[in-house]
Amino acid sequence: MAGERILELQDIAVEFSGFKAVSGLNLGIDRGELRCLIGPNGAGKTTALDVICGKVKPSAGRITLKGQDVTRLPEYKLARRGVGRKFQVPSVFRQLSVRDNLEVAYCKHLGVFGNLLGFKRGAENDGLEKLAELVGLEEVLDQPAGYLSHGQTQWLEIALLLAQDSEVILLDEPTAGMTAQETMHTAKIFNALRGRHTLLVVEHDMAFVREISDVITVMHQGRVLAEGRAAEVQKDPAVREAYLGSGGIADA
Amino acid sequence: MTRNRDAILRLVGYALFCAAILVVPLFVDNGYLLNKFARYLVFGILSLALSLSWGYAGILNLGQAVGFGLGSYCMAMALKLRTIPIQTGAGGLPDFMVWNNVQALPWFWVPFHSYAFAIAAGMAVPAVVAFLIGWFVFPARVSGVYVAIITLAMLVVINLVIIDQQPYTGGFNGITDLTTLKLFGIEFDAYSDATYYLAAITLSLCLFLGLAFVNSKTGLILQAIRDDETRVWYFGYNVAAYQNFVFCLSAAIAGFAGMLYTLVMEFASPTFLAVPISLSIVIWCAVGGRASLVGAALGAIVVTGVQGSLSDTPAFLDTWMLIMGGLFIVIVLFLPNGLISLIDLALGKRRRGRAATAAASVVAIERSESSRRQSAAR
Ligand SMILES: Nc1ncnc2c1ncn2[C@@H]1O[C@H](COP(=O)(O)OP(=O)(O)OP(=O)(O)O)[C@@H](O)[C@H]1O
Ligand SMILES: [Mg+2]
Repeated sequence: MAGERILELQDIAVEFSGFKAVSGLNLGIDRGELRCLIGPNGAGKTTALDVICGKVKPSAGRITLKGQDVTRLPEYKLARRGVGRKFQVPSVFRQLSVRDNLEVAYCKHLGVFGNLLGFKRGAENDGLEKLAELVGLEEVLDQPAGYLSHGQTQWLEIALLLAQDSEVILLDEPTAGMTAQETMHTAKIFNALRGRHTLLVVEHDMAFVREISDVITVMHQGRVLAEGRAAEVQKDPAVREAYLGSGGIADA
Repeated sequence: MTRNRDAILRLVGYALFCAAILVVPLFVDNGYLLNKFARYLVFGILSLALSLSWGYAGILNLGQAVGFGLGSYCMAMALKLRTIPIQTGAGGLPDFMVWNNVQALPWFWVPFHSYAFAIAAGMAVPAVVAFLIGWFVFPARVSGVYVAIITLAMLVVINLVIIDQQPYTGGFNGITDLTTLKLFGIEFDAYSDATYYLAAITLSLCLFLGLAFVNSKTGLILQAIRDDETRVWYFGYNVAAYQNFVFCLSAAIAGFAGMLYTLVMEFASPTFLAVPISLSIVIWCAVGGRASLVGAALGAIVVTGVQGSLSDTPAFLDTWMLIMGGLFIVIVLFLPNGLISLIDLALGKRRRGRAATAAASVVAIERSESSRRQSAAR
């Protein structure tokens, strides 16, 4: 298992009406790996995740998932093949209860007609409740998600991805707005997921990144600038250069 | 546990509502009044159908009357073909065809000799029309106000076609002079208890089946689509298929309501699928509470009821439209979830909710403030 490439981006380019947000991006991720993607604002991190999950289509390049070309697949087909995504702006179903949010994410059956008879929601309800416990939402299961605090919303999104149980999980700034304590709890969860899922995490909080990552990829101006362990990357002069003006990488 | 209690309370509420509409004929033996009430119930069904697509799935269908009108015509065609010869013209042709020099019964009229076919068509034709529209609209990720515009345009087009094809549809006049429906030995005279019960039982069935539907997983996914359509795609659901399904379901129910409407009104008319009624449905739904089936039905009954009694009262003859408009604005402004949310208010549910939201947003604001300060410090 180890060493098997689950996701591979080759020479990916993305243009927004002429502006190259990403160009010549190469990225390979092994099954079970937890990869962190960092870079200054506007480096193209979010765009890279968008390309992988099918939200935007690359103008050039190729994406392979488990050895198959998935470059042109629409997002829902990519999701069916095992790509899950958390967005930078938290997006949960605000009018639905936390429980129902998890129920939607728990998507083993996807068809309209099959789900018509799904009155017996959550034969796996137990599993969903355990998930809620894992992220500390068990007290608010029956509250509308719109009533959650910002931190709780982030937790819920993480729980949604776990309920969806994707092989490859893409997370865009999962700890934004969390307290230091909450961030450390998140780090624990991520460490527990390592191996079972493949995670690609975009994050600014270097303490968090050091806590969870094996390998860090640094992006700058739409391409990969450096790749390696936290200590190596932080010493890299090119990386230091890129972060100049945004305060330096150490506490970025 | 509160979840179960809420569900039980809701069931009790629905049962009470159904009981209330079902006992009406015991107290009213005026056929004219019963006919009027049956009309309100039919509007209730129509409004409930819109609540499924608009309230639960976020699809604002301004052409909801398309299904209603088509259903109404299907029933009228079947009844017209059974009208006694005096009104049917020579050779079994409907009178208006004779006046328009049509020589033989058009092919699409022929199967309407069968009630079974007509009733099936009354739901299937609206569903198929909806499916075709949905098939263009939803996979193209058209949503929100654009769906509203497209459905409204379709309504206008279909309305024009029906008016234009006078030899086959009766044009402006619609299809009139109909026999009464006799089915299973029951005669559904417009002013009879039977017709009222038919409307009341249909509405009750729609309420309970609708409740089961919105509580199924499909119903849940539709509500998720209403909240955040794009997010649902990323779980692997084919959102367009879900949207089209509820769009067709809603049209089929509207079609059934249309068939009942023909029985109640004793004719079919292009005004049944015109813009005014289509927009009225939206108002009923909004007034009653679009995200509640019983709320939507109640909205239709209350609005058309008040409208009926105001316009019948000489004192309000000139001003009733104004009064209705004012009421509508007040309700939409102060009760965004419609009249039905008064019940939630009475049960004290919302207040708890409001406090929680307020607390949550304070926390969220504090957090985002502090994270902004952090990033500024970087
Ligand atoms: N839809 C879009 N249209 C036009 N330009 C875009 C669009 N999305 C992103 N961009 C631009 O592409 C570049 C990369 O954006 P991206 O959001 O990927 O950066 P990021 O690394 O995620 O930054 P941040 O750390 O601020 O989230 C930015 O310059 C941004 O302005
Ligand atoms: Mg970003």
